This record gives sequence, structure tokens and C-alpha cells, in this order.
Amino acid sequence: MSIAAKKDDAPHILVFSTNNISDPGIDMAGSAHMHYSTQVQVISVPCSSGIKPTWVLHALESGFDGVFIAADGTDCAYLPDCTTRTGVLVKKTQDLLKEHGRSPKRLRMAAVCSVCSESFVSHMANFQKDIVKIASD
Amino acid sequence: MLPTDISQELDYDICIVGAGIAGMESALNLGDMGYRVLLVEKEASIGGKMILLSKVFPTLDCASCISTPKMASAAHHPNVTIMVYSEIDEIERKENGTFGVQMHQKPTYVDPNACIGCGQCETACTVAIPDEFNFNLDARRVAHIPFPQAVPKKAILQRNGQSPCNHTCPAGVKPHGYTSLVRAGLHDAAFELHLETTPLIGSLSRACYAPCEKECTRGEFEGSVQIRAIKRFIADRYYELNSEPNYGPVKERKDKRIAIVGAGPAGLNAAFQLARKGYDVTIFEAEEKAGGTMQYGIPDVRLPKDVLERDIKNVTALGVSIRTNTKVESLEKLKQDGFDAVFLGLGCSRTRSKREESADGTTSVKTKAPGRVRSPNTTPFADEIKLAANGVIEINKTLQTSLPYVFAGGDAVTGPLTITAAIGQGNQAAYFIEQFLQGHPLNAADLKELECTDKLAVIAREARLSTRKPTKLLKRENVSKEEGRKAAKLPLTEEEARYSANRCLDCGNCSECHQCVSVCPSNAIDFSMQPIHHQIKVGSVIIATGFELFDAHRKPTFGFGKYPNVVTAMQMDRLLSPTRPFNSVLRPSDGKEPDNIAFVLCVGSRDSQVDHRLCSRVCCMYTAKQAQLIMGSLPLADVTIYYIDIRAFGKGYDEFYEQAKGMGVDFVHGKVADITESSEDEGNLVVRFENLTEGKIEKREHDLVVLSVGLLPNTSAQGMFRGTSIEADNFRYIKEMDEDMEPGVTSIDGVFVAGAANAARDIPDTILHSGAAAVQAAAYIENLKGLVC
Ligand SMILES: Cc1cc2nc3c(=O)[nH]c(=O)nc-3n(C[C@H](O)[C@H](O)[C@H](O)COP(=O)(O)OP(=O)(O)OC[C@H]3O[C@@H](n4cnc5c(N)ncnc54)[C@H](O)[C@@H]3O)c2cc1C
Ligand code: SF4
Ligand code: SF4
Repeated sequence: MSIAAKKDDAPHILVFSTNNISDPGIDMAGSAHMHYSTQVQVISVPCSSGIKPTWVLHALESGFDGVFIAADGTDCAYLPDCTTRTGVLVKKTQDLLKEHGRSPKRLRMAAVCSVCSESFVSHMANFQKDIVKIASD
Repeated sequence: MLPTDISQELDYDICIVGAGIAGMESALNLGDMGYRVLLVEKEASIGGKMILLSKVFPTLDCASCISTPKMASAAHHPNVTIMVYSEIDEIERKENGTFGVQMHQKPTYVDPNACIGCGQCETACTVAIPDEFNFNLDARRVAHIPFPQAVPKKAILQRNGQSPCNHTCPAGVKPHGYTSLVRAGLHDAAFELHLETTPLIGSLSRACYAPCEKECTRGEFEGSVQIRAIKRFIADRYYELNSEPNYGPVKERKDKRIAIVGAGPAGLNAAFQLARKGYDVTIFEAEEKAGGTMQYGIPDVRLPKDVLERDIKNVTALGVSIRTNTKVESLEKLKQDGFDAVFLGLGCSRTRSKREESADGTTSVKTKAPGRVRSPNTTPFADEIKLAANGVIEINKTLQTSLPYVFAGGDAVTGPLTITAAIGQGNQAAYFIEQFLQGHPLNAADLKELECTDKLAVIAREARLSTRKPTKLLKRENVSKEEGRKAAKLPLTEEEARYSANRCLDCGNCSECHQCVSVCPSNAIDFSMQPIHHQIKVGSVIIATGFELFDAHRKPTFGFGKYPNVVTAMQMDRLLSPTRPFNSVLRPSDGKEPDNIAFVLCVGSRDSQVDHRLCSRVCCMYTAKQAQLIMGSLPLADVTIYYIDIRAFGKGYDEFYEQAKGMGVDFVHGKVADITESSEDEGNLVVRFENLTEGKIEKREHDLVVLSVGLLPNTSAQGMFRGTSIEADNFRYIKEMDEDMEPGVTSIDGVFVAGAANAARDIPDTILHSGAAAVQAAAYIENLKGLVC
């Protein structure tokens, strides 16, 4: 079965989440029985600024419909300028996506804090909705 | 040799005790300045009380959102080392101004380097206990990660001594373990757990004298858990479904051969354990059949021989061969035959009863007084190994005889024993034989178990237990004596077994069911873990041990602990927090959303009755905060606050109080006398108070009452110092010698205090104070650097 094998029709989303800050928030969405699509898969990374543009491209080429970066915002434990760096990275990645004929809107970033379970759930719903729109454009 | 400065000798520059917001803040400040910091925390996660709060006054910022980044920064700071679940034993100030710290890390039974924080152990764990991080509002498992934001995010098994049943079993069986598995409906796993200790499950379920039941704490209530009957349920059910063992010989073989002399319980167990390790094992038995006492000493009515035969199959399935009718006469001969080690499980000879052949061809053994007249069967080896005067074999503490490759256990060593104890010796012998064959030193202390849990504490904890009689008593109710006796002897049905298992009190918390061991994907669970002791040299110490909450039980007229709907403010902060136990504010008695909530201020503060005259400084404000948050999450609820006077002293605090009033919170100038349960509405509470404005006694009804408990000094640091004690102020907080001019400086030169360890403080004040303590410690270190050694 390919990693992108679909269980339902909702867009398939890969989430990069930071293991200190965003992960606990996302975990808690699960443990509090909040509903979000089974089409969302989460990989945790230490710091969002370490994500490589090619990873995002690879994900989209492997069948994911969108990539979401759940970042620490200013709370990163490693780098004081993490947000700026991640911002640069998102810009670069969107350029790379354009070069490869993919919509830059398939990449999204937002700060998800350690207790932002509800906001994570709504981010996922909105992102999936927006991806459906991109696909039909 | 050139003189070096003293600080070069140190393991860390500064040791900080307590990793609440104060300890973390001091650590980060010092780490940023380049000092090497050791941060010691007694709980399994850093974060202190702040990470458990909902929001903070007066900004209403989310407490966990602002503490998690601090926790993560402390954990990842290159100059900060964190030791959680650790306690200080003693701190000694040296003449040269440095400190020797003796401390230990408590065993978590999970290897923190292996644990990936996946939480699978938590899901599999079969024991639920009150969750202390939710102040007992809900339950958590024994294997658990403290809370989702925990740093480090590692599981721990919180053991509270060993349960009395597990502790007492001479065979090493874990009755609490299989009981909790049956309670969870995991009957096969219960059998498999039992099999880890002994293959003789069916036999024990009939013939064991069940010392576990005598130790069972439930025996202090309506009768002990019927542990042996549960075991019988497990064995009978399993054998019914599996007439043969579902395993064969172990694939990975070891090239050593072991002879076991005697196929009694000790010998069968030793053989079983060694064969499971991959050794080639042969049992020699003088009699016609294996089983020893179990075969020849116990009548069929008590132990049907087909059950014993099935038990023995658990051994032979591993490839163990049993040579019956074979009497071993010489140990030397066994050695010549190529055996590397020998276990003597000879048992005692007994007055053999007459075998009786019955009409249907089965044989049965009748013994009038089984095991009464027994003497050890050791005569053939008298020339080869040392025997004591009474004929028993002499062994050392590791069951080794005077011939190093020969070990012995069971009745031949101790004189007549029980089957259960003989099994224990077989297991121990197997352990030491393996150590011997692998060339490891033999150390009796290896098999040391955890201390037994404190039964009196369990009884106190279970004071409000509801009655659940043992099934054997229930079955005697409403029938004739004779019928009752018969019914009580019948094996348990599945329903009865689960009912019986549910009577277990989980005395030592962990049942040792080993479910966590089975599911952990990284083999992180380690039951052999021991405390790790450290001796550390540091230049300075900061005490940041924070505060203790006032125990609301100490105000009995307020009904905390008696009426479920009287809660503390800490519990209310949990109910309101984003990491809350339930998805809403619910009242404990019936899970209803309350719509008329009262707060009682100054509980345990400004109260000479409880010997605490100080104002706790934060209660007025956190109560105004909680009131506002409640109005946000339960918009229809009425909120009343009973106060003596409101102390809103900080920047923006008075505005915050006015804001609460503006939102409709009813501030009642009244001193509460007592709280009782309403006779009309179930679970509701009647607050009787003196209306201080009108000078009248009044009563009002509420459906939830929150006690705004005060902050008390944590005195745990006061006995830490060798040869001296750190001075406390009149209220038992750690004293600042000159609080006007030298914040953080204590009576011991080089020891500083930060945060609520020194006085009740809110978070902004704590952070300021911790910065001051950090600077004092840094200055002290700089002075040390001038000294040479
Ligand atoms: C219900 C309630 C609500 C509150 N709400 C607010 C609010 O909204 N805003 C606000 O500003 N303040 C609030 N406070 C006050 C706030 O909790 C304190 O200001 C703050 O927790 C003090 O931090 P601390 O680090 O000094 O102590 P603590 O938080 O008590 O931390 C002490 C740490 O030391 C550890 N420790 C203790 N003894 C030892 C030992 N012997 N060895 C090793 N470690 C040890 C403890 O486990 C703990 O982790 C509230 C308090 C309560 C009770
Ligand atoms: S199952 Fe193992 S790895 Fe997962 S949290 Fe538990 S101990 Fe850690
Ligand atoms: S042995 Fe059983 S009871 Fe103990 S922690 Fe593991 S799963 Fe829980």
C-alpha cells in the first residue's frame, strides 16, 4: 500500500509538527476525542526551520494533497529567530512548488501551541476545504 | 603543579532544587550567563504548579502556552542539565565555600533513553489510580506520561511498594498481576503471566495454601480476594481451550547440559526455567511418574492427576526429557556423562500409601496424612557433598552446594516444605545455575524485590470503600447450610472471576501484570531498575522548592473530602485548563454542569485556627480569574464569592477585580462558618455565613463550592543541610536575611532561595525573585573563582 492510499475522499495532508510545542497540542486533540480527518498524518521534527523544501515537494509528489507546518512561533526552544527562518523556508518552498507546476497554496504554516488542540482541528478542516477548492480551480 | 581555581573542580556551578517556574527561570538566566546548572526536580516532569494552571491573572494568558516554551528551553539549554524524579539526600557546605550534594534518582522502571513517549504502555496498563496532576478529579494508569506537555515526555511506572500478595508468594507468582488481567478480561494473558513464574498453574490452583489470600488487604474489609479461585478459573479455562501447550523448544540453543534430579515441584520448575533459556535439560526421577509430592502426596480429590499431567506438559513441550524409574546414585557420574550443572530437587521420602486400582482402571493414591512423616532423600550423595546432621543438603545463599556445579533446593535442603515454596526454590536455582554457567558472579541480592507496600496506608486510602462480598459468601446466602457449602466450593464462572478480580484494591499500584512490557515497542520497561545515587560537587545552591497547597481536609466544617461537590481552587483551575480532565466544568457527584457556583476565600490563610496567619497573596486574584473563566465557559452560571476583604494590590489587579464585578460576579462580604449538604437537592450545598456588612447569619444554596485554598511553606529543604539547618522565618518559609536589600540571600553563605519557597508569590513576582537569586548565585561563583586550591 502506498503511503498515500486513501481511506476517504478528503484531501490527504502531511503535518510537520515540532516535538516540544506543537506535538503536545496535536496529541491532546486526540486524547480529548476531538475529531479530525483520518487523512491527516503527522511527523514530528525538533524545529520547523529544519524542514527542507524538497521534503515538501516529495510529499506532494508521493500523493499528499497538502503539507501543513505546525510551527512554534516565538516559542522555539532552539532558535530565537526560528519564525523568521521558517518564514524564509516557506517562501522558498512555495517558489519550488511553482517551478514544479504545483500550487503554492498546498503548503500552509501556522503556529500551534502546546494546548492548541481546537485550533489545530479547525486548521485541518479549513486546509482540507481550501485544497478541495484549489483542485477544482 | 600550577594552582587552579576552585570552580574547575566542580561538576556544576550551581545546583537548583525544584523546577517550577522559579527554578526554571533561575536556571535559564544562569545558563544564558554561561554557568553550568543542574536542575533537580522531585516529580517526573518539570514545570511545577504553573503548567497545571488554566490562565494567569490579570492578563488571562494561557498558563500552559507560556510555560511549555520555558520547559522546553530549560530541557534543551546546553548549559542546563535536568534530573527529574530525583531527590536530594543531603547537602554539605565545604570549608572552601563549595558544596557536596548527595542525591538519588528514583527508579521509574522505564529506561528514559529508550522510551519514545508513544504512550502505548499507558493504554495497555491494567491498573487505574487517581491522577495527582488533575488533583484526583479523574484516573490515570500506573504506567503513564504525567501529562501531554510533560518535559521530558517519558513514561514512568509509579510503583508504591510491592502489593502484599505479590510480596508474600514464596513461589514468586504475581497474584495481583493475574487478578488485574482477569479484571481487564485478558484471561489468556493472565495464564501467560503465570507461566512466566511456573508451569504448575493447575496444580497450584488446587493445592497451594494461598498465603497471598492471608496477606490480601481486602481481608481487612469483607473478606480477601479469592485469589486461588481466580487462578483456578484461569487454568481451567486455558486448559479447556488448549489441551496441549502452544509452544515448542526454544529456537536459540545454548551449548550447556543440565541434569535435574527429582521431578517434584522444585525440579520441574528449575527444568522449565532453564529450558526456556535454551539449555538442554534432562530430569531424572526415581519414581514411575513425575510430580513428586503432587503425584504421590496429594489425594486425587484435591488435585486431579489429569490437571497435574497437563501442567507437566508445559515443561516437556520445551524439549525437557523426564527419565522416570531412574535413580541417580552419583554426581560424579552425571559430570562424566557430560552435564555441566546439576540441580538436586530430591524432596523427602514419605510413608508411601497403597495404590488402589478402582473398577474403571484408574489408580488413585490414598495417604492418610500427606507429607507428615518425611525425611530428606539425600543418602546417596553423602560422600560427594556436605550434608547437615539432620541429613539435609548444605547450601549457601545462592543454593550452591559444596560442589560448585551442584545446586539444591526444595525439601531436601530445608526439610519438608510446601509445593509453593519448593517452586520458588526451583526458580531461584535456575537463576543461579544460569549465572554459574555464564561465568557471572553469584549474588543473592540479585533476587531482591521491592519492599512491601504499607497496608495501613492502603486501608486508610480505601476508607470509603463500598461493600462487595466474596462470591463464596454470597453463594451461602439464602440457601441451606449444606447447599451453601457445596456451592461455595464450585469453580468460578467467568462473571464471578471478573467480579472477584474487581474486588482487588491495587495496593501497590502496579500489579506486575507486564502488559506494558509486552506492548512497549522499544523494550524500555525495566522492572529491575534501582535508585541511582550521585555525589556531585557544586559551587552554589538555589532552593526553589515552591509552596505546598493548604490541605482542605484541615477545615472539616467545610466538608472537603466528605461532600463530593466541595472542590479546591486547584481542582477548579484544572477543570478550566486547556489540558482539563473533562471537556467542560463538571461537578464531581453527577457530572452535571453546575449553574450556581460559590467560592470561599481565605481557606487556610489568615486563620490562626490552622496556625497560618499569613495572607496567601494570590487567592483573591486567582478566584477573580476563575470566576471570569467560568462565566466564559458556562455563560448561564451564577458565581458568588464569599470574601473577608479583597486584596488586589498589583498593577492592573484592581481593574481585574472590577472587571469580574462588572461581569456579574456576586461578591459577598461574608465569613463562611460551615458547608453542609442540602436535604432537598441531591449534591447541592448549603453555605452558612456571617454577612459582615449587615451583621447577620445567612444561608445560601449552591450546586458547587470551590475552596480558595492558601499557599503554605514547603519545609522539605529545611532538613537538607548537613551539620546546620537553613533558617526559616516565623511562618516557616525559608528566611531572607535582609529582604529589603539582599533578595534571595539565606542564612547559609552560598545558598539562595527563589520564588514561592521564600514567601507566597504570584508568577510575575516569582520570576523577578528568581532573576535576583540567579544573580546572587552568579556573584557567589565569581567570588569562588578568585580562590585557588
Ligand atoms: C489555584 C492556584 C491558582 C493560581 N493562579 C495563579 C495565576 O493565575 N497567576 C499567578 O501569577 N499565580 C497564580 N498562582 C500562584 C503560582 O502558582 C505561583 O506563583 C508559582 O507556582 C510559584 O512558582 P514556584 O516555582 O516558586 O513554585 P512551584 O510551582 O510550587 O514549583 C516548585 C517545584 O519544586 C519541586 N520541589 C518541591 N520540593 C522539592 C524537593 N525537595 N526536591 C526537588 N524538587 C522539589 C516541586 O515539585 C515543583 O515542581 C496560583 C496558585 C494556585 C494555588
Ligand atoms: S510504550 Fe515504551 S516507548 Fe512507549 S511510552 Fe511506554 S515506555 Fe515509552
Ligand atoms: S506491569 Fe501492568 S500494572 Fe504495572 S505498569 Fe505495567 S501494565 Fe501497568
